[in-house]
Amino acid sequence: LSENKEFRPVAQDQNSPMLTHIEILSTLEMLKNEHLDVRTVTLGISLFDCAGDGPDKFADRMVSKIGIIARDLVKVCDEVAIRYGIPIVNKRIAVSPIAAACACGPHQMVEVARAMDRAAKAVGVDFIGGFSALVEKGFTKGDHALIEAIPEALATTEHVCSSINVASTRAGINMDAVYLMGKTIKKTAELTGERDGVGCAKLCVFANIPEDVPFMAGAYLGVGEPEAVINVGVSGPGVVKKALDRAREANPGLDLGQLSEVIKHTAFKVTKVGELIGRRVADALGAPFGVVDLSLAPTPTSGDSVGEIFESLGLASIGVPGSTAALALINDAVKKGGAFASSYVGGLSGAFIPVSEDLNIAESARRGFLSLEKLEAMTSVCSVGLDMVALAGDTSAETLAAIIADEMAIGVTNKKTTAARLIPVPGKKAGEKAFFGGLLGEATIIRTPGAENSGEFISLGGRIPAPIQSLTN
Amino acid sequence: VRKIIVSVLGLDRPGIIAAVSEVLFRNKYNLEDVSQTILQTEFAGVFIASRPDSPEIGELGHRLREKIAPMGLSFLLQEMETGEAWRFPESEPFVITAMGPDRPGLVSGITGLLARFDINISNLKAVFRGGDNPNENTMIYEVDIPVSVDKTSFREALYERGREMRLEVSLQHREIFEAIHRI
Repeated sequence: LSENKEFRPVAQDQNSPMLTHIEILSTLEMLKNEHLDVRTVTLGISLFDCAGDGPDKFADRMVSKIGIIARDLVKVCDEVAIRYGIPIVNKRIAVSPIAAACACGPHQMVEVARAMDRAAKAVGVDFIGGFSALVEKGFTKGDHALIEAIPEALATTEHVCSSINVASTRAGINMDAVYLMGKTIKKTAELTGERDGVGCAKLCVFANIPEDVPFMAGAYLGVGEPEAVINVGVSGPGVVKKALDRAREANPGLDLGQLSEVIKHTAFKVTKVGELIGRRVADALGAPFGVVDLSLAPTPTSGDSVGEIFESLGLASIGVPGSTAALALINDAVKKGGAFASSYVGGLSGAFIPVSEDLNIAESARRGFLSLEKLEAMTSVCSVGLDMVALAGDTSAETLAAIIADEMAIGVTNKKTTAARLIPVPGKKAGEKAFFGGLLGEATIIRTPGAENSGEFISLGGRIPAPIQSLTN
Repeated sequence: VRKIIVSVLGLDRPGIIAAVSEVLFRNKYNLEDVSQTILQTEFAGVFIASRPDSPEIGELGHRLREKIAPMGLSFLLQEMETGEAWRFPESEPFVITAMGPDRPGLVSGITGLLARFDINISNLKAVFRGGDNPNENTMIYEVDIPVSVDKTSFREALYERGREMRLEVSLQHREIFEAIHRI
């Protein structure tokens, strides 16, 4: 591996201090029992030079460009993982928003998605993101075509992820796009109905989408980004939980200020791991290092859960009163620790609360501690939003759009990123279980109180103006 | 200038370093390096010192014996080798840990392998309290692996040795520990 100057490895000279026993054993403990890992290394690849005299040409150039730039991605990640003893769970690719890079008709858009799928398969990554459009202020022809193509594209590909930004603090909320996404989600669920609407798990609707998210389904390469870039997503909810448990066991008198300090320290360590691994991979691939996205991202595995952190802070379950305050504390401490550890923290950085992907959160929803309303409230203080929420199959496009609009309003007004990844599970009702498989997990379908009463509001369309930036109260 | 090296062993108690360094001082020796460690109840210290006129060391030995023998300590005094030291090849720092049920031959099993690959140990901490609890039987080696050593075959050999001895073994670049714990 080639090495850059900043991180040059040197044979230990006599002056470098010895590591302590505790430093080494605590690192092993994080790796072995607390699920410390690098959740994803995502290689961003610009597709703006792939434009040709038609979508076929674009697809060919795209496949060949991805094949060249990402050829060694998986191999290099595996080598770096072994060298440092830190698992890199997922290797992914994010490309320029397709609606901007290749404006064509909807049928051709589906073909482009299939070509992305082939390119991903060829280099062995698990997801490729960027089947995306940015429509917060209005649609181009390409944006319309891409959104129209989403249901079929996601139903007929395995690795392609799609994200649509429909709102921003500067532009307001494009309510026509919100309604359109309600319909698109509905149709995507129907086309993947035999698998509980899993296509929707690969589709995210955003407000204020960052340009450098390494996590799926929202990853795409922003137009302000370089030709190629490595962004890293680290995780570590298990590490945070265990650190809290240990601290409280050693000193039961710790208050919330002191516990947030514990989270901060832990986030610092986890971020340092991410930056080291990211830089090493970037060096080896000859691409610049972009950002560490420090997000507490759970997997459906016991001990790798964001929900369990709430219990370590003394709440019976995520979702009970006090959960929003606890989440605000967690999210802020994570950001503070991460920002000290690396000057290049970006993406979504914060705590994720994806319902089906977290055993503990899914269970809280099943037991009724966590409602849709409480989830929505919590998203005002954490990163992302209504994530992997299974809804009844008969939820209308209008109700889906209304839920999305609420979530977008939280992001736009609070100058933060929010997103909705909703899955109306075809043929199933509230209380039944939906199974998405693998890392996507499973979830009990959550009730939508007051559903089917928002149609008129949604059908008004137009753009909700950008919010005022003064009179802050 | 010829350097001398003194190693001191004995039951730990306050005043050992004070006694040795006082004798060196009174005999006009200049201390260059001192390191000490305590294993269980036993003290071990190593002192490197020099004197511009490089006298015979018999007199110093006599004075040391006078001072520290009554404290129940033994020592070894000799002149340092002046021959050329082992030249370290260009290496990279790694950390090896091995944990598992206690049994005879664990350190020799791992270090034999390191020697075979010309890997130098720069720091070692091994604790064996017996029994099957891996946390009570741990070895942590900081090593320098020459860049000429094929890391894949070394890694395989190390894991294989670990399996033979029922040890859980890890091999990680030192940087990861520094990244996590140091600002």
